[in-house]
Formats: sequence, C-alpha cells, structure tokens
Amino acid sequence: MKKRFSENIKIKLLGAIVVAGLLSVASPLAGTAQTDSTAQNADATQQEPELISPSLEFAAVQKSDNSIDLKVRLRGKVNGQSINFYKIKISFFQVVNEEDIPLGFSITDGSGKTLFNVTGDSLKTDSEGNLHFKAVFAGNKAMDPAEEVVAMKRALLEMTPIKEDSLLSIQVKLSDLGTGPATPIKEATIGVFVKRSFLPLKVGEGTTDENGEATIEFPNGLPGDPKGNLTVIARLDENEIYGNLETTSVQNWGVPVSDKIENQPRALWSTHPPIWMLITFIVLMVTVWGHYIVIVYELFRLRKEKPHTS
Amino acid sequence: MELNKYQQEIFNHQRPNIEKFGRRAWGWTIFYLLWIGVGGYALYLQVVKGHEVTGMRDNVVWGLYIANFIFFIGISYAGAVISGILHILKVEWRKPIIRIAEMITVVSTIIGPVFILLCVGRLDRLHHLFLYPRLQSPITWDVLAIGTYFTGSAIFLYLALIKDFAIYRDAKLNVPKWKQKLYKVLALGYKGTPSQKKHISISMNLMAIMIVPLAIIVHSVLSWIFGMTLRPGWHSTIFGPYFVLAAIYSGTGVLIMAMWVYRRMYKLNSYIQDKHFVYLGYIMMILGAAYGYFTFSEYLTNWYGSEKWDNEVVSKLFNLKEYGWQFLFANVAGIILPIAIVAIPKTRKPNLIALVSLFMVIALWVKRYLIIVPTLETPLLPMQDTRPEFVKYSATWVEWALTLAGIATFFLFFTLMSKFVTIIPISEFGETEKTKAAIPETEAPKAKDTDTP
Repeated sequence: MKKRFSENIKIKLLGAIVVAGLLSVASPLAGTAQTDSTAQNADATQQEPELISPSLEFAAVQKSDNSIDLKVRLRGKVNGQSINFYKIKISFFQVVNEEDIPLGFSITDGSGKTLFNVTGDSLKTDSEGNLHFKAVFAGNKAMDPAEEVVAMKRALLEMTPIKEDSLLSIQVKLSDLGTGPATPIKEATIGVFVKRSFLPLKVGEGTTDENGEATIEFPNGLPGDPKGNLTVIARLDENEIYGNLETTSVQNWGVPVSDKIENQPRALWSTHPPIWMLITFIVLMVTVWGHYIVIVYELFRLRKEKPHTS
Repeated sequence: MELNKYQQEIFNHQRPNIEKFGRRAWGWTIFYLLWIGVGGYALYLQVVKGHEVTGMRDNVVWGLYIANFIFFIGISYAGAVISGILHILKVEWRKPIIRIAEMITVVSTIIGPVFILLCVGRLDRLHHLFLYPRLQSPITWDVLAIGTYFTGSAIFLYLALIKDFAIYRDAKLNVPKWKQKLYKVLALGYKGTPSQKKHISISMNLMAIMIVPLAIIVHSVLSWIFGMTLRPGWHSTIFGPYFVLAAIYSGTGVLIMAMWVYRRMYKLNSYIQDKHFVYLGYIMMILGAAYGYFTFSEYLTNWYGSEKWDNEVVSKLFNLKEYGWQFLFANVAGIILPIAIVAIPKTRKPNLIALVSLFMVIALWVKRYLIIVPTLETPLLPMQDTRPEFVKYSATWVEWALTLAGIATFFLFFTLMSKFVTIIPISEFGETEKTKAAIPETEAPKAKDTDTP
C-alpha cells in the first residue's frame, strides 16, 4: 500500500513538474491572464526528454445571436495519467480556400479548456455555405504540436417559449443560412434542456417538420432560482451538416428556490447556540462555580475567625 | 498547632526535606532548567520561523503537542478521581499518598494546556477565544472545562494543605523569612479550633464531591473534540468513557511512579508502604482490564464494520510497516503487562508494579499519538498533487525538545513542591484513632521491597 502510495505520488509529482514547466509564471491569476506560457518550459524538457503528445478536442457551437463559440480542450497522458494542460495558448483560424486566416487566440484554463467566440458577420463561407475552423497548439519543447479542424454549414436555431394556461412548451425553428435566404431544415432532433449546477438537465426532445419547426412540451414545477427563473436551452447536437447549434432563453417558469438555507435545525454554526446547550452550560457552570464561591467564602470565614486554641 | 505522637513523628521525618534544599535537589533543578532552556530555544525558533519548524502541515495539523496535552490532562486524574473518591469513601490508607495525587493533578493541569498554546499558530489572537467564544464549539467547552477543573483542583490541593501550612508556621522551621511569611499567609490563621475544622471539613467534602464529576466532564469534553469530528477513528460514541477510563488509568500509573520515587528519595517506607503499591496495583489492574475491553470493542467495531476510511486507519494500525509496532506496544505494555504483573502474586511487588506503571504510562502516551496521527494521515478527501511530507507526519526536534521541556517542567514542579510542603500530609494523621491503623509501626519492617536505601 505504501509502495503504491509512493508510486502514485511520484507519478503526480512528475506530471506536475512537466505541466509546471508548461505554465506561465507571468501572472498568479492563471485563469484570467491572457499570456502564453509555452515559451517558458526549458526546465521541464530537461527532465522529460520524450515529448508529450497532447490530444486536442475541438468543437464549434452556432449561437442564435449569429456568433460561434469555438471550444477546445487540451489534454494528454503523462506517465499513464491523464493530465489537463492549462495556461496553454490555442490559436484559432478560419480556413478559406486552404488559406488559414487568423482569428485570435485564447489560453486554456485549469481543466484544459478554452472558449473563443467569433461573430458570424465577419466569417466567409465556401461555395457550399460551409464554415471551416482550425484550432492549433503550436507545440513546445516538451510537447508535440496539435491541431484540429471542424466544418459546419451556417444555420440558425430559434426558440419561442409558449405558455398557455398551465401548459408550457418550447417551439423551436431550425433554418439553413448557408446558401442564400433561410430555408427550413427538417427531420432534425432538437433537445430542450434546463441549466443546472453542473450539466444541463434534459427535459424534452422533438423532431423538426417540413417547416423546420418542432414543439416540445416543457414540464411544470422545476426548481428555479430565488425568483423562479429557469435558463432554457435548445440544442442541436453533433449534426453531420450543421454541427452544434444552441440557443438560450430565461423564463419565469420554475418554482422559486432560495439559495439561502432557512431551515437549520442543527445549525451549530449559527450566531446563537441551541437553547438546550445554553441551559446545560449555565446550569453546569453555576453549579460548579457556585460551589467554588461557597468554599472561598468558607475560607474567608476561617481567616476572619478569632485565633484561639481548641 | 499541637501535634500528636504520630504527627510529630511524621513531621520530624520530613522536616529536613523542607528546611534544606540540598545538593541533589539543586543538581536536579539545574538539570531540569537546562532541559527547559533547550525547549525555550525550540520555542523561540517556532515563534520566529513559524510552524514550518514542526512536522505539522495542512494535512496533519495535530501531532506531538496534542498527544502531550491529552496525556497530561489524563494523568491529572490521579488526584482528582483517586483522591476524591478515596476521600469520600473515607479510605484510611489513602492518607500518605493523597498529597502526591493532588500535586500530580495541579501540576499536570498547568502543563497540559501549555501544549495547546504551542500548537496554536496565531498566539496573538488567543484572546479572541475569550472575547468571541462560540458555545457551540467543543474547543470552547474545553477551555471552560479545563479552566474550571484547574481552579477546582488547585482549591482541593490548597484545602488539604491549610492545616499543614499552620503546622509549618508554628514549627519555627529553619527556613528563610519569606518562606515563613508565606506559610503564615497560606495558613489563613488556622489554629485548629472546632469551628475552623468544620469549615475545612465542609469545604473538603464539597470539593471531593465536585471534583469527581468535574474530572469526568473535563475528559469527556476533551474526547468530544475528537468524537464530534467526522473523521475515521475519531467519530465514536464510546470516546467519552474511553478517554475518561484511559485518563484514570494513566493517572494511577503516574501516581505509583511518583510514590516509588518519593519513597526512595525521602526514605518514606514507613508511610508509603508495600500495601499502597498493591492496593493501587489492584486499581490499576481493574482499570487496565476495563481499558482493554474498551480498546478491543472500539477497534473490533471499526475493523468488522469495514467502512472505507475506518478500515484504512485500522489497517495502518495493524500494519507493522506503518504503526503496527507502536500499536502492539501500546496494547501489550498498556494492557496485558500491568494486568499480568499485578495478577500474579509473585510479581506483585512495589518495584515491579512501579516499573510496569512506567511502561504503561509510556504505552498510553503512544496510544494518544496513535489516536491523533494515523487519523489525520487518512483524510476523507484524498490529497493529490502534494508532497509526501505534507501527507505523512514526522515530529521534528523542535517538537521533541518542547515535549521534553514539558516533562522537565513536570519534574521541576515536583522537586520544588517537595521542598515547600511535606509529601506525606501531617495533619491527616492522628486526628482519629482509626488513623493509627493507617501507619502501624509494625508494618514497616515487613516491607518486602528491596529498594529501601
């Protein structure tokens, strides 16, 4: 057990050394500083002669505001252990006629992820209305370079929340924007989700008709924020032609749930102690210290007594 | 104060001890002071450099200091419970040993909490504990309980000393004037009138009744610091009685050792007789058996339950490459050996009982260490991406130096106190005819121990 423990520590330390070599020391605010750390890793390469082959996961999500989120996750295995590479510079390009047009760069966070948002107006499509993006990690002395390409056809996913009496539903409309005017996309499966603390909660699903529309029932009674608001998300996931599309809307359809815990029956961290504890404490202390006072009083009387022999 | 024959005899025997400090006493005092000096230097380093000079880190935040704290508070039970109960039950043979027991209580209650201060990182905020206490916190309970306990123990010891102070005052001892004045002040004008005797008697009885439940509450509260925490090896319902029992047990061991040392040092064989060792040995044996039962019950439950984290702690205690040897020693020397030595008539001798008490006391100190460290080395949330020394605890020389300084302070207090008051309480004897039986002159020659100088 001890051996396994020390091996585990060794692996983690080695991984940490390699990653630390990749990190920027320019700013202690790792997650917010837009700095490239890949140039400052000479120490790490001396300790790790074999280059690490990172895996670059790349996805694009078309938003309803005509912008596109380019999402990257950079990770890899170091000594058999999966490591997220953070504070790594990822460059983004649009590929037009085999030419890479730089869009900008972003730095990965602690989980090895980064997001780069581009506005749709400035983007050029090819003759078939497709967009091509490339995410590139240039590599460094410790790691091999990595790149990934995604392509998707321009499309738009719109969402209309409908409330009729107590019945709630979401109407979605999916349109192709790749070639000329918007045309409906049929037989596409749209999922409806609600934003939760960790991953979105799927609450319904529907398939678009020939008008590119679908109506999906929405459940009542979902817990919302303190005001009862829910963030509703409609998503088309991993479509072969259009990739990922997403649109969100905040609706006051949830049950208000306070973020403050009001019922604290065992709240020992509260300002005041429970009454039973207070009573027990007072009774014990008064009893004991009361006896002490009586004894000190007895001694006081002893001292005051006139000296005479028995 | 007029003394009867027995009292005069006892006083005359011990008179030189409080009149002269002696070379040997000076030698030991200097030795202890040097020992404490090393601890002082270690403390200086700890204050200047911070707790990084100790083995304690984010993960294992308690180590030797807290083990020492529990240990010293534990041995304070010698006086509180043993002398309290024996006083209430009017057991005659308690008289020669009662003062040693009460002294152990007061001295160890002074030293124990000092280790808490050594463990606290921000001493400059210590007053916050009193300014902003939270009654819901076991730490607050502990501060209040130990403060109350110390006050009670000090009063109990003082009450038992008042009559003797009056004897010292009236005996025209060959001591410095300041010492004579101090005896006079502390005697509170006691002359032995019936009224004064009544006041003392009422106070003593009240304190004897108070001190026993108080001691039980104090050590229960101490155990709850662990028991109230959701950590493997700590969160146990039997921790309260388990701690109380272990405390009385270790206190008995220290009392036996102190009796042995004083008997040998001041030639008190006529008063601290073999039967005192045997009687306390019987108490130790019964407590040892009960302590063994609690230990077995606690670890059997954890082991059998096989809950993930509990199991991890238990496996560390059973693994000889981790804490197995210490755990084995704690149980053999702490349970089996004392029971065996006292149970066998041939080995039921003062020297052996004292020796086995020493082993038992060390074993119980090791046990306190094993309660604290393996649990803290088994966090509920696994430690990742951290240095091994942050996960494993290893005490540094600074902690050992301060631990030894604490033990030296304990011995120093005892050396100084034995030069200020008589170890055998004079006033306790001869007040009734029954007390005659407590020190029958014919018993002294029958003593079979061989350590008599």
